[in-house]
Amino acid sequence: MLQKKICMVGAFATGKTSLVSRFVYSIFSEKYQTTVGVKIDKKSLNIQGRDLSLILWDLYGEDDFQRLRLSYLRGSSGYLVVVDRTRNHTLEKAFDLQQRVEATIGKKPFIIVLNKSDLKDEWEVDEGEINSITQRGWTAIETSAKTGLGVEDIFQTLAQQMLEQ
Amino acid sequence: MNELGENSPNNHHDLSNDELSELRLLLLGIEQPKLNKLYKRLEDPQIIQAEDVSKLLPEAVILRSKQDRQLGEAMVHTVEDAIQGSVNQDINTLSEVIFPIIAPATRKAIAAALDEMIQSLNQALEHSLSPQSFKWRWEARRTGKSFAEIVLLRTLIFRVEQVFVIHKKTGLLLQHVVAPQVSVQEPELVSAMLTAIEDFVKDSFKVGKGDALQSLKLGDLNIWIEEGPLGLVAGVIRGNAPQELRSVFQEAVEKIHLKFKVELDEFDGETDKFINSKPYLEDCLRSYYKSETKKKNIYAWAFLGILGTVLGILSFFAIREQMRWNSLITKLNSQPGIVVTQSEKRGGKFVIFGMRDPLAADPQTLVKQENINPKQVITKWKPYLSFEPQLMTRRAKEMLQPPKTASLKVDEIGLLQAQGSAPQQWILEARKLWRFIPGVIKFDEGSLVPTELNQLRLYKQKIEQTRFLFEEGTTNLLPSEDDKFDNLRINLQKLFDTAQYLGRNIRIEIIGHANTKGSEATNITLSQKRARKILSVLNTKAIEVERIRTIGVGSTQPLKANTKEDMEKANIRVSFKVLLTDMKK
Repeated sequence: MLQKKICMVGAFATGKTSLVSRFVYSIFSEKYQTTVGVKIDKKSLNIQGRDLSLILWDLYGEDDFQRLRLSYLRGSSGYLVVVDRTRNHTLEKAFDLQQRVEATIGKKPFIIVLNKSDLKDEWEVDEGEINSITQRGWTAIETSAKTGLGVEDIFQTLAQQMLEQ
Repeated sequence: MNELGENSPNNHHDLSNDELSELRLLLLGIEQPKLNKLYKRLEDPQIIQAEDVSKLLPEAVILRSKQDRQLGEAMVHTVEDAIQGSVNQDINTLSEVIFPIIAPATRKAIAAALDEMIQSLNQALEHSLSPQSFKWRWEARRTGKSFAEIVLLRTLIFRVEQVFVIHKKTGLLLQHVVAPQVSVQEPELVSAMLTAIEDFVKDSFKVGKGDALQSLKLGDLNIWIEEGPLGLVAGVIRGNAPQELRSVFQEAVEKIHLKFKVELDEFDGETDKFINSKPYLEDCLRSYYKSETKKKNIYAWAFLGILGTVLGILSFFAIREQMRWNSLITKLNSQPGIVVTQSEKRGGKFVIFGMRDPLAADPQTLVKQENINPKQVITKWKPYLSFEPQLMTRRAKEMLQPPKTASLKVDEIGLLQAQGSAPQQWILEARKLWRFIPGVIKFDEGSLVPTELNQLRLYKQKIEQTRFLFEEGTTNLLPSEDDKFDNLRINLQKLFDTAQYLGRNIRIEIIGHANTKGSEATNITLSQKRARKILSVLNTKAIEVERIRTIGVGSTQPLKANTKEDMEKANIRVSFKVLLTDMKK
């Protein structure tokens, strides 16, 4: 059995927890996030005939009151950085977080998750900014918690990248 | 030098060559033939002999095994073939070799499985009927756990329920074992969360470097963590475990680090490599259960014993009382003149309803005979007349009052029979009274004799025994005979009186006799005269003589005696015969 630890970070209220909730298995409630600062879920995948368990550490969205607990990042094989497309500052936060994560655990595969893609009218993060992400060679995937768009994709893509490493 | 030259393969007896050889010998100190031999061996490895290999092989194997695993891998097929060959040849050889290993391992496995089964069964049985069990059943229902689980939980002092081996850096679960009958949640998630909590504690509070979370406690649930440099062992313990258990955990961590150092170091998410760490974890799955104290058992047994004895005694008395009661009812019913119509127990007392003939036996006597306290028995009898033979007999006796010499009996058809003797007066009374006895339809007195009849016979006997003796050849009584008349007269008087009372006819014959002396004609006359003489004497005394007649029989009815002389004397006599001839009703 192959297991990988992955982390999910993002600014406060980017909707990351509800984004994955329908796609993962968990025994813990969301209150863990506000107390311990992390909620742990499991995502079972099959990549090229091989069973893989992703242990997803859903870290508390950083805000003015609570900082990201960097120790939770330790040992991750990859990570997701979640951006709320309807709030521009979450993208800035994402860049900041990505840097800090990389500084903590080194170069690991990661995906920029562009959430709330269904709320097109409210988008603050425009295509130009997204292009600048992809130009860096980063992977960005559009998702929607409402429709479930792109969620399976982010796990598949990240798993693929981690196994290729 | 010559010797060298002869043995050399290039023996050319060349001067320069010889000199060269000599120089070589001087410089190197090695003999040429040996050197040649060495060269030859180096050039052709085939020459290496088995003997040489055998000397080097063990050391070579050790050296190579230290370097890498190639030797082992190279040997795999050979060893497999060898084992296959051995099995094909004779399966017994190999099985004998591995038996000492297999047997204890199998035994251990079976014993462990049996032990576990028996323990579960035992506990389930032990707690299935106690009052506590109902509480536990309720708890099981409420919490959704199985009853067996609750029983285990409530009786254990401690039990290690789960053991995790966690990769320290990633928090990923490497291996996990669970005790039997323990329900677990996703161990991978628990493992990660445990790591997160440890990180959280370390981050939130200032702890020294190298300090680690050692235990978590919530109610009777404990999580003990033993850390190694690369991994940690976490045990979930229910109850209060002794500190000695820590050393078991420590040992497990140490062994895992020793055996899986490389795997831990290079861990990339592949957990299958750690399967062999399971025995170390299983060793940590220890438990200790509360055993029922002996004292408790003694009390329980003593209580049961006393209860049993008391119940035994009570039931003995109850059964005995019931048996006596049943026996009383049976006896009462079998008594003539008693009919029990209803019997019951009312308020600790026995109540009997029925009918009783006043002449029947007293029920209270029967109650006493059965060892029942008469105060416990209440009887209500209605009087009635019983036509049972015993009762009718009793009633006949009551009414007729027979003398002791007579007995009465009434049979089933109502025939009253009288036996024995009774005064004529009573017999006459009885003849009148028997018709008034209820149930008696006939009186049979055939076997009943009047008492007076016996008297009559007695007088008859006395009279017939009387004899009057005379002087020979005369009608003169011997002087001694006069006294007999008074007695005779009294007896005769009584005889006549009694006969008259009984309504019998009496005839008396006075018989005169003579001995054989003289002619028989003379003797008859003489004997007749003697009889008349007696009658005349009786007549003078005013005895009723019309029923008396005299007869002379001469010497025809002689009396026997010992001597002829005595016989002659004795036959000069008069005798009597009483005839109770007629009976007038």
